Amino acid sequence: MHRHPPTNPNAPEAVIVDNLHKRFGPLEVLKGVSLTAREGDVITLIGSSGSGKSTLLRCINMLEVPDEGRIVIGGEAIGLKKGRGGRTIPADARQVDRLRTRLGMVFQNFNLWTHMTILENVIEAPVHVLGVPKAEAVDRARKLLDKVGILAKADSYPVQLSGGQQQRAAIARALAMQPKVMLFDEPTSALDPELVGEVLLVIRQLAEEGNTMILVTHEMGFAREVASEVVFLHQGRIEEQGPPDRVLVNPESERVRQFLSRHLSNGG
Amino acid sequence: MNWELMWDSVPTLLGGVPVTLELVGLALLFGAAVAFAAALLRLSGNPVAERLMAAYVFVFRGTPLLVQIFLIYYGLGQFEAVRGSFLWTFLREPFWCAILALTLNTGAYTSEILRGAILSVPQGQIEAARACGMSRTLLFRRIVLPIAIRQMLPAYGNEVILMVKASSLASTITLLEITGIARKIIAQTFAVFEIFIVAGSIYLLLNFLASRLIRYAEWRMTPYLRARG
Repeated sequence: MHRHPPTNPNAPEAVIVDNLHKRFGPLEVLKGVSLTAREGDVITLIGSSGSGKSTLLRCINMLEVPDEGRIVIGGEAIGLKKGRGGRTIPADARQVDRLRTRLGMVFQNFNLWTHMTILENVIEAPVHVLGVPKAEAVDRARKLLDKVGILAKADSYPVQLSGGQQQRAAIARALAMQPKVMLFDEPTSALDPELVGEVLLVIRQLAEEGNTMILVTHEMGFAREVASEVVFLHQGRIEEQGPPDRVLVNPESERVRQFLSRHLSNGG
Repeated sequence: MNWELMWDSVPTLLGGVPVTLELVGLALLFGAAVAFAAALLRLSGNPVAERLMAAYVFVFRGTPLLVQIFLIYYGLGQFEAVRGSFLWTFLREPFWCAILALTLNTGAYTSEILRGAILSVPQGQIEAARACGMSRTLLFRRIVLPIAIRQMLPAYGNEVILMVKASSLASTITLLEITGIARKIIAQTFAVFEIFIVAGSIYLLLNFLASRLIRYAEWRMTPYLRARG
């Protein structure tokens, strides 16, 4: 079985998360999480639902604004300040917009823009956010759609595609921005079981090409294959982290062991 | 039933169609601008603007259009400030009073339709746009508004039809649109039934065309709904 090479300790840091706290009302979802993704890393975040793994991922591109802590993208710290009512808000919305262009996000529910064709979805942000000439964007989009195996669907609308095809289109859309880091939020959780494989195949290929990725997943077997590091979250804290062969095979934590025994039984 | 009279009245009544279309067309045009501004202000997050717009919608949806027309036509002229201002060149004309009333009325309804449509844009599609680094304005222009406009078309079609019918109230302030002309003919012929049947048929025809137009717009703008299935 293919294994992702371990983290290269000398590679530059792509994402640094430092002592992140996030509350939703009275509920503290993240209670001081720190994490570093170096270039070429594939970090998988695992844990039961409610452990904070999706929130952590969404904090990295500011879809959720953390209450405390620091996030550094490619050496640039995201500025935060206290807004009205004491809530933390981005200090500079334009900085956040700019940093987001370097982070490709793939959602559980694909979130393709329903009023645009697949090709239009893929060229939308490169053309209107980055200012790439349209012909060039189309050219690149076609290559990406070919890469994820749905070039034939370029002129279709999202509703005409299966879930697996939509997710592959969403991956192409994220890649079109040529991001430094790809973020995947449970990319196969909304898919019919028979469609999971085609999406994992695409993600695995991206991992093998050396892309830096952080992904939240319930697919333990897949995590073991593609990850350079596995991070197990429990109730807003990192319970255990390390190379997949250790965390997913011989975890030190009893909680991780219990979690794995529940998840490996259903085919992971 | 006097068929000959009905037949003879057709060209005269059709003569009111341009005025009706002008009233409806201009009111819809200005009303769309008012609705757009009102909906945006109402979603702006500014509490003063939000309350102001909520009050506007409350007043103009909650009172009869006829009362609004009377207030503007008969009421505004009582104020020296209005008569003295440049606005008086417009407001002394019944045509522009009718336009103003219809505009404010449809603006209130349409702003609510638009606001609902904006709020119904799926959150996931908005997040996907934010995640690509779209600014608020770009996100609104490229994602939220196109989806919202498509979403609001069926309800807006209703509003257009209601406006075509509502324009008949302009006849109460001397305007000779379809209904105004009908009342004039009736005053001369006393053929209430015949003339109003012809006038009603003309409205029916106009609304048939309006609903066709809206359906065509819907069909053109939502290829992704046609594609399904």
